[in-house]
Amino acid sequence: MSNLGNKTSLCTDAGYMSRNKHGEQLCGDHVEIIEKEDGTLILVLADGLGSGVRACILSTLTSRIISTMMAESMSLEECVETIAATLPVDPARDVAYSTFTIIRIAPGGGEAEIIQYDNPGVIMLRDGKLLEFDKTMSTIGGKKIFRSKIKTAEDDVFVAMSDGVEHAGIGGRYNFGWKRTDIAEWLEGLYNVGFTAKTISTILVEECVKLYGNEPGDDTTAATIRIRRREPMNFMMGPPANPDDLGKMHALFFSKEGGRIICGGTTSQLAAKYLGKEVVPVLDYSDPDIPPIATVEGVDLVTEGVVTVSRVLEYARDHLDENKLYSKWNTGRDGASRIARKLFEEATDINFFVGRAVNPAHQNPNLPINFNIKMQLIDELADCLKKMGKRIKVSYF
Amino acid sequence: MKKVKICIGSSCHLKGSRQIVEELQYLVKEHNLQDKVELGGTFCMGNCVNGVSVTVDDELFSVSPETAKEFFEKEILAKVG
Repeated sequence: MSNLGNKTSLCTDAGYMSRNKHGEQLCGDHVEIIEKEDGTLILVLADGLGSGVRACILSTLTSRIISTMMAESMSLEECVETIAATLPVDPARDVAYSTFTIIRIAPGGGEAEIIQYDNPGVIMLRDGKLLEFDKTMSTIGGKKIFRSKIKTAEDDVFVAMSDGVEHAGIGGRYNFGWKRTDIAEWLEGLYNVGFTAKTISTILVEECVKLYGNEPGDDTTAATIRIRRREPMNFMMGPPANPDDLGKMHALFFSKEGGRIICGGTTSQLAAKYLGKEVVPVLDYSDPDIPPIATVEGVDLVTEGVVTVSRVLEYARDHLDENKLYSKWNTGRDGASRIARKLFEEATDINFFVGRAVNPAHQNPNLPINFNIKMQLIDELADCLKKMGKRIKVSYF
Repeated sequence: MKKVKICIGSSCHLKGSRQIVEELQYLVKEHNLQDKVELGGTFCMGNCVNGVSVTVDDELFSVSPETAKEFFEKEILAKVG
């Protein structure tokens, strides 16, 4: 039983970032991340020959075909043969060509299987240090493919990349590009900060773009998987529609395992009363647009509601997309930044406790807040968090 | 000690409670009233329509960023000075 508990308490966090070659509209690298229902994670990073539209088609087809077939538990041989038979042939070079890296993690952050064809080698960090792992070569359809199987451990980090990363700085800061061991050393410095897989990938690609002098000479992509412990978090916003349900809502919220976030003035006042504690607002405006946070003994974070959560939603959308705002919420002391760190970085399983009471004080046409906005905010935030790979449960009261 | 609490709830925030907090913090300091006036925040007082809600020793006032200075002079400075 305890063994099983240990196994299932691990999970994965996966994310990637790409930057196009300077002047290109399309990216010739493509990443697919699939999480199967049983918890198996499959990540495929493909780099199509050349750049622009042809490369984009090649890499998209390659990563989609491999990830879909792998998710259906088909063999690697079948995947590679299918790609060879499907990809359009480049008339100039007479080859259909896209390199790829596949990382498959068994359910519960178990064994990792890494399959590599011609991309820069996957960098693996264990306990924050580069760990070189064994590879065996096999030839499938004339392609030399390297396979590895690794027993994973908590906090292992895997970083796959396209050659745009290793070529960064060629002829500039680094005569022969950014060396694999140097990239690994650089990544070691990011370990333990608690960045999400997406943010680690973003920072790595941003560094490459800098090395390229802001004009990447190639499509540059990094894709990261972290093996991490499951971390539950509970998020409460709004009093229940029926005041009689308040006791039940509080009893459920405070009996759950994990961190606790409460959003909304009335909501936190009611929760404080339940706990027999005081709400103490902290009059500190570190972000002028976000209302100050408050403290309630026994609750990890107490913030205002709609204004703060709107900003969290903005950060969530950005984190899934270009991830331009991560440095803002990564360091901010305001309520929205704090919620973002707890939900995006710390948590893996989030329970939403949403109260559907209509705040009579807000039902006035002169106020820019209303009940529908609040419900919509929660729906969209939950949706974004799902896309980040979190397990979400929403309960309404 | 006068206790002044400014609502920092959603509605009052959008109506400018930050400016009022900052203005009052500045005025209290300028008049050297730190040991006579205690400024604090509070969440929603259920008086959103007339916000920004501010209480002085539990007496409720409606203040806006424009009237903050006048409010300070009339309701705080005059009564502690």
